[in-house]
Amino acid sequence: MLLAVIAVAAFLGPILVHATLLGHPSDIDLLNRLAGPSPLHPLGTDELGRDVLLRLMQGGRISLVIGIAAAIAAAAIGTVVGLIAGYLGGWTDRLLMRGTDAVIALPLLPLLIVLAALDLDKLGVPASLARSNDISLIRIVTLAVLIGWTTAARLVRGAALVTRNRDFVRAARSLGAGVTHILWRHILPNVLGPLIVATTLSVGDVILLESVLSFLGLGVQPPLASWGSMLSNAQELIASAPWLAIYPGLMIFLTVVAFNLLGDALQTRLDPFTRLATV
Amino acid sequence: MIRFIATRLIEIAAVLAVMSFLIYVLIGLMPGDPIDLMRSADPHMTAADVARLKAVYGVDRPLLERYLAWAHATLSGDLGYSRLFGTPVVAALLPRLANSLALMGLSFLLAFVCALGLGIAAARRPNSSLDAAINLFCFASVSVPTFWLALILILVFAAELGWLPAGGMATAGAAEAGNRLRHLVLPVATLTIANLGGYTRYVRAAMRDALAQDHIRTARAKGAGEVRVVFHHALRTALVPVVTILALSFGGLVSGALVTETMFAYPGMGKLIFDAVMGNDYNLALAGLLLATATTMAANFAADLAYAWLDPRVSYR
Amino acid sequence: MAIAAAALPAAAAEHETLAIGIIQFPATLNPNTDAMAAKSYVLGLALRPFTVYDADWKLACLLCTELPSIENGLAVPTDFPDGKKGVNLTYTIRPDARWGDGVPVTTKDVTFTYQVGKDPKSGIENAELYRRLIGIDVRDDKTFTMHFDKLTFDYAAINDFVLLPEHVERDAFADPAQYRLRTHYNNDPTNPGLYNGPYLLKEVVSGSHILLEPNPHWAGPPPRFRQITVRAIENTAALEANLLSGTIEMIAGELGLPLDEALAFEKRHGDAFHVVYKPGLAYEHVDLNLDRPGLADRRVREALIRGIDRVAITKSLFAGRQPVADTFMNPLDAGYTDAVPHYGYDPARAQALLDEAGFHKAAGGIRRSDSGQELSFELMTTAGNRSRELVEQVLQSQWRQIDVEVKLKNEPARVLFGETLRHRRFDMAMYAWISSPENVPRSILYSSEIPSEANALAGQNIAGFKNPEMDRLIDALEIELDKDKRKELWAKAQKLYATELPSLPLYFRSDAFILPKWLTGVRPTGNQYPTTLWVTDWAPRQ
Repeated sequence: MLLAVIAVAAFLGPILVHATLLGHPSDIDLLNRLAGPSPLHPLGTDELGRDVLLRLMQGGRISLVIGIAAAIAAAAIGTVVGLIAGYLGGWTDRLLMRGTDAVIALPLLPLLIVLAALDLDKLGVPASLARSNDISLIRIVTLAVLIGWTTAARLVRGAALVTRNRDFVRAARSLGAGVTHILWRHILPNVLGPLIVATTLSVGDVILLESVLSFLGLGVQPPLASWGSMLSNAQELIASAPWLAIYPGLMIFLTVVAFNLLGDALQTRLDPFTRLATV
Repeated sequence: MIRFIATRLIEIAAVLAVMSFLIYVLIGLMPGDPIDLMRSADPHMTAADVARLKAVYGVDRPLLERYLAWAHATLSGDLGYSRLFGTPVVAALLPRLANSLALMGLSFLLAFVCALGLGIAAARRPNSSLDAAINLFCFASVSVPTFWLALILILVFAAELGWLPAGGMATAGAAEAGNRLRHLVLPVATLTIANLGGYTRYVRAAMRDALAQDHIRTARAKGAGEVRVVFHHALRTALVPVVTILALSFGGLVSGALVTETMFAYPGMGKLIFDAVMGNDYNLALAGLLLATATTMAANFAADLAYAWLDPRVSYR
Repeated sequence: MAIAAAALPAAAAEHETLAIGIIQFPATLNPNTDAMAAKSYVLGLALRPFTVYDADWKLACLLCTELPSIENGLAVPTDFPDGKKGVNLTYTIRPDARWGDGVPVTTKDVTFTYQVGKDPKSGIENAELYRRLIGIDVRDDKTFTMHFDKLTFDYAAINDFVLLPEHVERDAFADPAQYRLRTHYNNDPTNPGLYNGPYLLKEVVSGSHILLEPNPHWAGPPPRFRQITVRAIENTAALEANLLSGTIEMIAGELGLPLDEALAFEKRHGDAFHVVYKPGLAYEHVDLNLDRPGLADRRVREALIRGIDRVAITKSLFAGRQPVADTFMNPLDAGYTDAVPHYGYDPARAQALLDEAGFHKAAGGIRRSDSGQELSFELMTTAGNRSRELVEQVLQSQWRQIDVEVKLKNEPARVLFGETLRHRRFDMAMYAWISSPENVPRSILYSSEIPSEANALAGQNIAGFKNPEMDRLIDALEIELDKDKRKELWAKAQKLYATELPSLPLYFRSDAFILPKWLTGVRPTGNQYPTTLWVTDWAPRQ
């Protein structure tokens, strides 16, 4: 299973390198719009005559970068919040957990609009970054993190609650170990398993979130493409050029499957109890 | 137990208060207030007109002052008027809420029941071809964006086959239940399929864990019937994590499904809240969002209480 | 024979109703608050304004009996002590005009509407009309005279003066500050007394549809449909699917499919539907911020427009249905002239112009001046507008050919229009102006209309175009009553615009009306007045 995942990942890498040699994904050819497969364009062209295969690879890179970056950042924030809440308990726990409740219900779209409108120069973001194409990616990642960390936080908190009363943690505490030390050395390793699994699974969620944002016109901005934005753009062309939808849709599907399988595989590896049970 | 309930209720109230302020600030932070937008549509507006309209719409005062006035009115039971629709908030909200509850409630129930069936079937025969097929379906379900699913369903069942209406809430002028139900089929199907994959995977995972636990083995060893083992012993344990996850999605019942509603032109809360936020309709957006928050938190609370019933080892003091 | 005879009435009965699809639901229905295209579309079926521009872009009298003119004596120019000219206009309400509940439309409604419009607390938006309107004298039940403080060439147009029914709305106006919220149009929209057009609103399901039925008190040409349903479906792909499934029978051009989608639709379903294209008054263009180094140079601006192949863009993306624009003025407009500089696609000339302006080719493919100024700009447009996003990517790639770098930065419409453009924080911005016929471009091109902190960000001259000659032409145009002299002024203004290029004209947007084959009489106007105002002309094919 793990192999399948690696295969998909490895498959993407070298082709991406190739892409830069073959042409550019935003090369426009108005005379060759919505063409079917040909030797020059193996997967056909889109509504501006751009090569679908190249766009698909560029889109893949962007979707994966967004997905992975957001998943990892959300896991990191969630872990910190969850560890603190679970280990300290009491008022801190309650405050943080009600906070996560609130975040779950928070309206996403105004947040995104606000993010889109913030004057980044004033916030001290370097002009080179604020004016670059990547800024729309950073916005989407920020948004995905803002809503994604709650899952990790709940998960880690639950695990921390259980672990903190285990004997080895009590022993460490009685030996005078500091809070950070206990959290880092004793509790974190014990929650790592489920956390990694949850993070893997959330990559697919973020990719889908991006597609919904594209649907609402708030996703990745042209000339960049993501699988989500390609899919969203293809809806008007579903009858005349179905391949524009099928390929990115298929890629999202494969990616979600791959990350799920990766998650399953990791779970089996990391959790000896489950392995015993399934064998 | 009573103390636990009381503290939780106070906490919920506190979160709602903080949330209302946060949402207010968030909408206030959005660039372009309603008057700015009118102005971009009407070239003849002068600075004096802008000042006058800002005063009429009450957006000339500082945000905090407006928030306090809102909070005061709301606490005395007056939700005010919707700026966007020019009607009382309650009049704008209630019909949409009813629509959303019908749509979301039906699809939630359907997805939950189907997920239980599929999840249990898959968990009972791990790694079988049935398990693999269900897994594949789950992957497909979680990897298809809702707008695509909706579009395909409309194209196939409404445009091609003509079996079902493509959108809307009812045929114009017709209000009978049958007509409304026919219009609900496709949106409910969209949401059900979209949620089913995720739910099924949770049920499957929880059931697999539950079936592997000691007390199930004991029950099996004691010769309890398979049906009893699965539905009485294992399911009860498995429901604990499943309920947690489902409780979190409960707020969604109220806040609706923006994308599905848009695709099917179904007037529900998702679209309403979206429009209210985008249209700087503070009163309406706050009422809708707070309702959703309150439901989410109440559901979490209910889930916590449900643990006590489902899992005798949990107790609250 | 018997079968054929029986089939005929059935076929006629089949088209007794009409279901129209549009992409936006009107949030409110009061004709004098929150201007919104969906609202004017629906109200076109149910309310009659006094005057509008028709499909020939001529002013038409709908609720009045005759347009006032100086020739027929109903318009009388007046002199003000300060030397300015005003005008008194006399209108007569059609004698047979009645509200949907049978109450006649009278001058009582006129004075009430004026009272609401003049009240600063009522939140009415058409401030310009009520600022210029200094008084109304009632002659009798049906006739009244309006006093305006300015005599403009389009003096007879009172398009924004839409009557409110005094007998219904009076109580909602008890507290003027609350009128906007209490108005019956929003709280009781199916009250027949609110409408005076051929149809009345029978059912309003917010966010879904509006059902209309004929007004029994309508005295004009009889409405041909027993029921008209207007359905709002915001997603255009779903809108198409609804049309194919028969849930709706036509898609309104005013609020329908973007042109590229309509073209694709026609290719596949052209045999089942009648697709009508009408280029209109939406002028798509790229505004240039003239205060930016580089863009301040006219030669650079000319190079930019010569560097893009507008003919190829409209040909390949819009099947040539969107005429390339030379200036802001539509060829269908009375003041249009062809005698302006035309800029064809000429990359070589563009390169030469850039060299001449001192921007030379440099490493990295971006031209720069000797002082190190690079020709690198940000092009903005409304995020989520697919047609514009496609076009801007083509522009970007064509400008790259002449070594001008353009980065795309799109923002949601409310951010772009509400914030960024008003503060002039942009280099290039692609969007459209939508105006009425012979609309004097004062707010767009007059030098005092440049939004700044000093004028509280009023005006729409975001390019920052300052030209005394243009100011003079605009002042003269507004008050020139003679048609031919006005045409001369228009020609000068267009020539100046096309020479100076404060913005790059792209094309005039076309609306696509998708109609069932059996429907006749729908005449797209191409201006901002909806086809529904002439709904009594719509009929099943005989």
